[in-house]
Amino acid sequence: MNAMEKSWAASMLVGAMLLGSAIPAQAHVASNSFLTLRIDGARIDGALELAVRDAEIAVGLDGNQDGVVTWGEVRAAQAELAAYLGRHLELAATNGGCALSFGALRINDRVDGNYLWQPFTADCPASIQRLSITYRLLDEEDPSHRGLLTLTAQGVAQTAVLGGAHAVQVFDLESPSRFKAFAEYFHAGVWHIWSGIDHLLFLLSLLLPAVLIRRNHHWAAVPEAAPAFLNILKVVTAFTLAHSITLSLAAFDIVRLPSRITESIIAASIVVAAVNNVFPVVTEARWRIAFAFGLLHGFGFAAVLSEMGLPQGARLLSLLAFNLGVEAGQLAVVTAIMPLAYALRATHLYRRGLMPWGSTAIAGVALVWLVQRAMG
Amino acid sequence: MRFALCAVRSLVVLALSGVLSTPLNANPYLPANDADVLATLPAGAHHEELAARRLARGRLDVAIPLAQFYIGQARASGDLRFLGYAEAVLAPWVAGNTPVPAALVLQATLQQSRHEFAAALATLDRSLGAKSDDPQAWLTRATVLRVLGRYAEAQAACTQFMRWADVGVGLICRQSIEGMAGHLESAYAALKELSTQGMMAAELAWRESELGEMAVRLGRDADAERWFREGLDVDPHDFYVRAALADLLLRQHRDAEILPLLRGQESIEPLLLRLAIAQRHLHDPNFARSRGILQAAFEAEAERGEAVHRREQARFLLDVQDRPEEALAAALTNWTVQREPDDALILVNAARRIGDVQRAAPALEFVRARGLQDARLAAAPEAPS
Repeated sequence: MNAMEKSWAASMLVGAMLLGSAIPAQAHVASNSFLTLRIDGARIDGALELAVRDAEIAVGLDGNQDGVVTWGEVRAAQAELAAYLGRHLELAATNGGCALSFGALRINDRVDGNYLWQPFTADCPASIQRLSITYRLLDEEDPSHRGLLTLTAQGVAQTAVLGGAHAVQVFDLESPSRFKAFAEYFHAGVWHIWSGIDHLLFLLSLLLPAVLIRRNHHWAAVPEAAPAFLNILKVVTAFTLAHSITLSLAAFDIVRLPSRITESIIAASIVVAAVNNVFPVVTEARWRIAFAFGLLHGFGFAAVLSEMGLPQGARLLSLLAFNLGVEAGQLAVVTAIMPLAYALRATHLYRRGLMPWGSTAIAGVALVWLVQRAMG
Repeated sequence: MRFALCAVRSLVVLALSGVLSTPLNANPYLPANDADVLATLPAGAHHEELAARRLARGRLDVAIPLAQFYIGQARASGDLRFLGYAEAVLAPWVAGNTPVPAALVLQATLQQSRHEFAAALATLDRSLGAKSDDPQAWLTRATVLRVLGRYAEAQAACTQFMRWADVGVGLICRQSIEGMAGHLESAYAALKELSTQGMMAAELAWRESELGEMAVRLGRDADAERWFREGLDVDPHDFYVRAALADLLLRQHRDAEILPLLRGQESIEPLLLRLAIAQRHLHDPNFARSRGILQAAFEAEAERGEAVHRREQARFLLDVQDRPEEALAAALTNWTVQREPDDALILVNAARRIGDVQRAAPALEFVRARGLQDARLAAAPEAPS
């Protein structure tokens, strides 16, 4: 192999090594900007966050070309940057373009480096119903650059990826999508409580004795509706409160528990609640059990939600919808069963049959689940 | 009540630790001094180079080396932006009815690196249609097909490659695929016996990384470690070999050795992923930060509507986040895209952690059908920690 062939082979092999899955496809965050628009009538409050690296490519920040971009150099290039943004970012309402005016630059520190934070306002000819965004930042220099948009109008957020093949995008600001999203998550909540029988069995185990009272080691019927109703209210409220807390913590990724642990403890909670009916330990304040284990059930709900994912920008609303769905489904079951339980409370069947043997059956089923889940 | 209190207390502690460990984007601020440094620019990231890029639009002899330079920068720094710059430089030369074959091959390299395998193969077809005797195109084709687990076709591409390439390089191409397709022991022996006389650094590094991987799959970790370390001596910037070595150390529970191995490499995500796993095992205080950066990177990718790094994401979910169900889902999706031994491994490991190996059926079936030998797939499941 002569020298020329060698150098040819060398350059070729560099390519080969790159291809051999060695190329850092998984490296660094790709080039993204973050565009936030908040629409209020005919006016838009906006901010664009552009990586210092990308701004350098776009307009050249490094005035003394020493390979280091300082804050002083950024300030010096501020007007040029604004002009560049004005040329490469266009906002338009249905009846005409919006005039952009740029505010003072700031810096935002992100995990992959410093970003220039450029606030701006846009004044449009009339109240905006449809917004057209033309995003051409870096389109000549880096075709893989994208603008990640969060657009908020009337409390509804939508997100989109700008740039690349989709330089011009139109957003309908009066779309009913938030109601659709709400309905979808509400439905998921109802469906989960109905199909996820373990939550219902837990609640049922706590509610079966709600229409009874423990007297001389025997279950007796409550004399009137008021204490029964109060019992039910306490248990349901404690359970709701507890699982709402943990559901929210988990949904926002503040707390996470491994699903095997959650699922096992949920099964254990049913065993505890059901066995407590057969061999009562806690007879007066079952709401405490409801609250304590309700915290764990919340993580169970969160697992469902994490499979669905929460839509960016509408996370709180979707979480609320899901939670309300869970409560509605739960309430529906309680209102269907409890009047019946109240009516039957004095019968032998209820006190001697359903209470002990129903609870035993529930405990048995839950015990099997517990073993299965704990063994994985 | 005591239980309830206890539960609440532990939850508060959990919540606090969760909050503290989540890196939040600080609010925009005004730097105090004009001299404050906001960024250090690597070579190839200057506005002034636009002149060269503009020149490249009309001059192929500028465009090809410039694109190669950007791809090299992407590889060395782990910075994806350079791939975008290369793409821009290549754009005029790959469009239209008479694209330049050499530009197409580089374009295919970019597509492959973004895991757009079908697009990469289509681009290579265009290149080979215009110039069928381009060894680089055949080698690239072999590599893409190998990632897809299409070994017979990959071998055919190697055969084409060998018609024009140096014998030694051709053998690495051939034996690396033989080693996947049921002939691991003999391929390993053949590569070991391959004379390294006259080999250039890039060839040596390639051979050593292949030998290291083969040794791993043969279960000869001591040999593998030696190959990987030799490979790193030849090319310290080859983060792929560095990641393979880190995986080997992780398997041997030598977590403390990972920290010096990966120091200063945190900007390269696959290496940061290994570092985070080691930090987690070591209860290192920097773990939360590493996890936060990785999380943000995966989220940014998802926001872009891309999910090219499913293998890393599955590994992240399994070994950093301890969410085996989600890891399995990610690994299964990843398996529909790419089928390297590491892709099978993450799928099998996730299924093992769940306790149901059968859920890795697609990978297990593939391994049986292809005769893929890998000691890691046969090994006992790792205990979660």
